[in-house]
Amino acid sequence: MLDILIKIVVFGTIVSGIWALVASGFTLIFGVARILNFAHGSLFVLSAYVGITFVRLGFNPYVAFVLSLLVVGLFGVVIYRLFMAPIREHEVMVIIVSLSIALLMEQALLLSFGETGISFPSLVKGIVEIGGLPVPTKRIIALFIAIIALILLEYFINRTITGKKINAASQDMQMATLVGIEVERIFMLTMFISALLAALGGLLYSQIFAITPHVAVKSLIYAFAIVILGGLGSIRGSIIASFIVGYILMATIILLGARWSELIMLLTIIAILIVKPSGLFGVEE
Amino acid sequence: MKAVITVLVVLILSALALVLPEYLPEAFVYLIGLTFLFIILAVSWDVMVGYTGQVNLGHTVFVGVGAYTAALLQTPERLQGTVLEFISTNPPILLSIILGGLIAALIGFVIGFITLRLKGYYFALVTAVLPLVFIESVYIWSDVFGGEEGFSIGLGNALADTTTGKYYVAFAIMFISVVIMLLLVKSPLGLKFRALREDQELAEAAGIDTVRYKLIAFLISSFFAGIGGAAIVHYRITAGPDLYNIPLMLLIILSTVVGGLGTIYGSVIGGFFIYLAKNWWLREVIDRISKVYHVPINDEIILYAILIVIAIFLPEGVYHGIKKKIQK
Repeated sequence: MLDILIKIVVFGTIVSGIWALVASGFTLIFGVARILNFAHGSLFVLSAYVGITFVRLGFNPYVAFVLSLLVVGLFGVVIYRLFMAPIREHEVMVIIVSLSIALLMEQALLLSFGETGISFPSLVKGIVEIGGLPVPTKRIIALFIAIIALILLEYFINRTITGKKINAASQDMQMATLVGIEVERIFMLTMFISALLAALGGLLYSQIFAITPHVAVKSLIYAFAIVILGGLGSIRGSIIASFIVGYILMATIILLGARWSELIMLLTIIAILIVKPSGLFGVEE
Repeated sequence: MKAVITVLVVLILSALALVLPEYLPEAFVYLIGLTFLFIILAVSWDVMVGYTGQVNLGHTVFVGVGAYTAALLQTPERLQGTVLEFISTNPPILLSIILGGLIAALIGFVIGFITLRLKGYYFALVTAVLPLVFIESVYIWSDVFGGEEGFSIGLGNALADTTTGKYYVAFAIMFISVVIMLLLVKSPLGLKFRALREDQELAEAAGIDTVRYKLIAFLISSFFAGIGGAAIVHYRITAGPDLYNIPLMLLIILSTVVGGLGTIYGSVIGGFFIYLAKNWWLREVIDRISKVYHVPINDEIILYAILIVIAIFLPEGVYHGIKKKIQK
């Protein structure tokens, strides 16, 4: 019994760290530009495929890791600029377009890479023992990288001038424009950071689990559950919610089996919506 | 005058649809019959999204619930060993289709009751999750739902004995469903739907109980989606997870966006041409393209790309976009 509990806590903490990256990216671009990016999960998956491609081309895994982050970050900016920015006022269409992009990317990845799972090569080897449970070092490193990235994000948003501009743009677009902030550039930067967070999550995830094109939609659902619990638009809320959802998810997988995960996620979402519709840190719309 | 022209056009098109089987090979008659049933799905999506402005991304859930309800009512032996094993009769087909609609509406009520109270994006987020959950249920309880392959309900439970017969029944179901939905949205009820689409706060200020009317629209929408799903099962005699799946959802969205959101007629026309295009010639064309050029492409990619292009150049939909351009 205790060993199962340790397993849930240890592995749950690690996946929670990764989901925190993904969810904070999703909530960031929503909070700032009011864009619900249904292609966010696809960026998560794409990073693993881009990374693998660089490794197969002969790049060192560390270099491939960084290159993949940049490529996916820029890709996020490109899809934002081409497909989302022109129709930002048509909220229904933004949802439909980003969902279409997600499904299109899933099909394109399926046709180019097939359905078999891929994994990014481990950046570190070895095993550490925690409470009698052997844990691969790469998982612990993944958690550390995730935590560092989240601290950097917090610092960037709250302490730097650019971060304050992002905050300003998210609070009032017109006023931000009036005080001389180039809102469109701020949105593009935000999208870059958002995609970067998804990509980092994807690369860390793919060192631990196999990634298939179908993971895109699944990761999106986890992100939904997290942001609904944390409150749409709140980064701090989604980080805390990630850990709650991560433990629920890990407990489900260990106790019931992976095929129950989406069903439990839905029940979690519904339970949250009944009890606390605006989430833990939600801002009233 | 406008109403007279509309009625005339509908009569002419209906007459055309009724004589069509005489001149077409059986395979096409079968496909067009299925297209009629698809039109119900597109129109019912339009009732919710086009008239109240709430983005429902889980419409296929109601299609699938209707489909599996009807299918399981015809094959009650699949329910042995579950809490529903007391169900043992095969209801008449018409009743099984209506029950499919009612169960779908019931699910719609539960989902709508929880999410439609909330302003903003919760409805879209939750409905987007739904199809995957219902697909998962098909795998978890595969003894009942038949897993990935689905299951057959037996030739005896088809809408009619011949393909032409099924075609006519499908047309009748579509015609009646669309007329009912049309009458509903043209009634004072539909006016309230549109009021809350245009400005929810203003509608509230004018004394409209927005949550209640969103819920009513969602009930109508999910009921007819269930009818459509159940009718499709009785048409093709198989139930399968494809009826829950996202490609069908995107096809419904595409049809309505092309035809014009909030017009009903547009969804009928859009649904007819998009579904036929997808199932008739698109695959062949793409097979040829991918053989010659070796590009990773399939019919789904093309449909998604079309949807993206339309959304960017005509974000109000093809019908409204072109109408606006002409008026300028």
